[in-house]
Amino acid sequence: MAETKSISMSVKIGTLKLKNPVMTASGTFGYGGEYADYVDLNKLGAIVVKGLSLKPRAGNPPPRIMETPSGMLNAVGLQNIGVHTFIEEKLPILRKYDTNVIANIYGETYDEYKKVAQKLTSAKGVHALEVNISCPNVRKGGLSFGADPKSAAAVTRKVKEVTGLPVIVKLTPNVTDITAIAAAVEKAGADAISLINTLTGMSVDIFTRRPHLKNVTGGLSGPAIKPVALRMVWQVLQKISIPVIGIGGIMNAEDALEFLILGAKAVQIGTANFINPQATIEIIAGIERYMELNGIKNISKLIGTFRS
Amino acid sequence: MKNVYIGEILRNEEIAQDCFLMRVALHVSFIDPRPGQFVMLRVSGLAEPLLSRPFSVCSFERQNRSCSLDLFYHVIGRGTQILAGLLKGTQVEILGPLGRGFEVAGHKKNIVLLGGGMGMAPLIYLAMQLNKDACSSSSAMYFYLGAQNAEAVIGLEQLKKLSFTIFTCTDDGSMGEKGLVTQIFLKDLKKFVPGETMIYACGPKPMLSALAKILQKTKYPCQVSLEERMACGIGACLGCAVAVKRSKKSSLAYKRVCADGPVFDINEIVWK
Repeated sequence: MAETKSISMSVKIGTLKLKNPVMTASGTFGYGGEYADYVDLNKLGAIVVKGLSLKPRAGNPPPRIMETPSGMLNAVGLQNIGVHTFIEEKLPILRKYDTNVIANIYGETYDEYKKVAQKLTSAKGVHALEVNISCPNVRKGGLSFGADPKSAAAVTRKVKEVTGLPVIVKLTPNVTDITAIAAAVEKAGADAISLINTLTGMSVDIFTRRPHLKNVTGGLSGPAIKPVALRMVWQVLQKISIPVIGIGGIMNAEDALEFLILGAKAVQIGTANFINPQATIEIIAGIERYMELNGIKNISKLIGTFRS
Repeated sequence: MKNVYIGEILRNEEIAQDCFLMRVALHVSFIDPRPGQFVMLRVSGLAEPLLSRPFSVCSFERQNRSCSLDLFYHVIGRGTQILAGLLKGTQVEILGPLGRGFEVAGHKKNIVLLGGGMGMAPLIYLAMQLNKDACSSSSAMYFYLGAQNAEAVIGLEQLKKLSFTIFTCTDDGSMGEKGLVTQIFLKDLKKFVPGETMIYACGPKPMLSALAKILQKTKYPCQVSLEERMACGIGACLGCAVAVKRSKKSSLAYKRVCADGPVFDINEIVWK
């Protein structure tokens, strides 16, 4: 159809321009290359890579995952190759693709966040930083930063001080009032907010009477958390004016559209990548088809059209 | 670009106590799996199980216009209970073949396979390949097969068609010798010269761990195929971590069963 060509799906997150609003969620797409056999990476709005720390991290002992009703628990423990190896070995591969590379970063101290941000800012081929203040798996780590408006704002400020790249702050849902954290992070200078990270959960093996995960608790993701994510995105949108990226249980284009209609400028696809490595591409095609069927030529005419 | 294949169940039946054989018809473009490789399988359109499940390739046959894949599974939890109820004609999504398979060493004088319980699945496929392999016609091939009891023995009929010397054992002595497969093998170990032997093993963790202990201070090369819960099968989720001995080069202590394995050198693994 000739009309298909005239459909624009491009969106802007601060100064970051995306060809479409579909990104991969950190920790579900490796460093990109893992999916290159299944997905034309050039078609993605952005690739958000596995969370990077200053030093490589071995991660948690197994078992690390467990399927639960309409979802899964994971306690990978931020296993990653470290920022140095990422820049040396993975970034050159990613630079070959015509897509945005968003580096998800993580630290145990303010200083570590700063150092990781600095290293990635001076590397060629990183288009934005996503700051993980919310990973629930490492006791000393993210949770303490993301659960308190003051420390969440402090991390944001420290990272902003050392980078000119757009800074996206990824929020944890495991808090009493997510809108307070969102407002604090916005005030501290964040360019965008992404939410939600996983919900802390657990699962018990009734035969051994032990936890299914060695770490006992883990992060719940998948379709089970979508209604919670939608509610939180909706609440946060009413409190802040910087762009919001919706994450949580998006399995298909319909799910993604729910977030976009609410007002999320973009979405991230996580657990769906595990179930169908081509989920991102199918979601992009599905959004386009929806726009076509509904006579929407520009995605900006769809985003935030929620009627409450 | 690789794709997810839609397969159709041709057979899905109980072949031993709680053990099922599923035969899936696939499009002719499906790549021939190497022994030790696996596939991720999911039932099309079902919300549960949500995640695909990994299964070793137990057999693969290619016809003119299609091919078919045999998988074994043990009904153990929700996911496999649902699989067991599937009827002929049901569509399944198959991703694969995945992982690094066995290194087939057909030139060794002695080829020894040790299989326990469901661990038989990849070894049957390996045994069929070794049997076909011209090089191995000069090799002596041995198969040590262990199960809980006679009802739980799987794969024996297929093996009998191949040129293996078979030793069967069960925990309760209801078939073959009474005892663990590793114990039976240990009694024969001295018959094999390390430099002329290749050992392949797959089975429950305690069995592989016992084998690791037996081979610890010897020079027998041994490849083991491991199993772990996994979500993606392609190296992204990091769910299927296995502890490995630290090498000097890297300080990372975990490898991925899916992408770095599922076949490993037995000495590389940290057995607890």
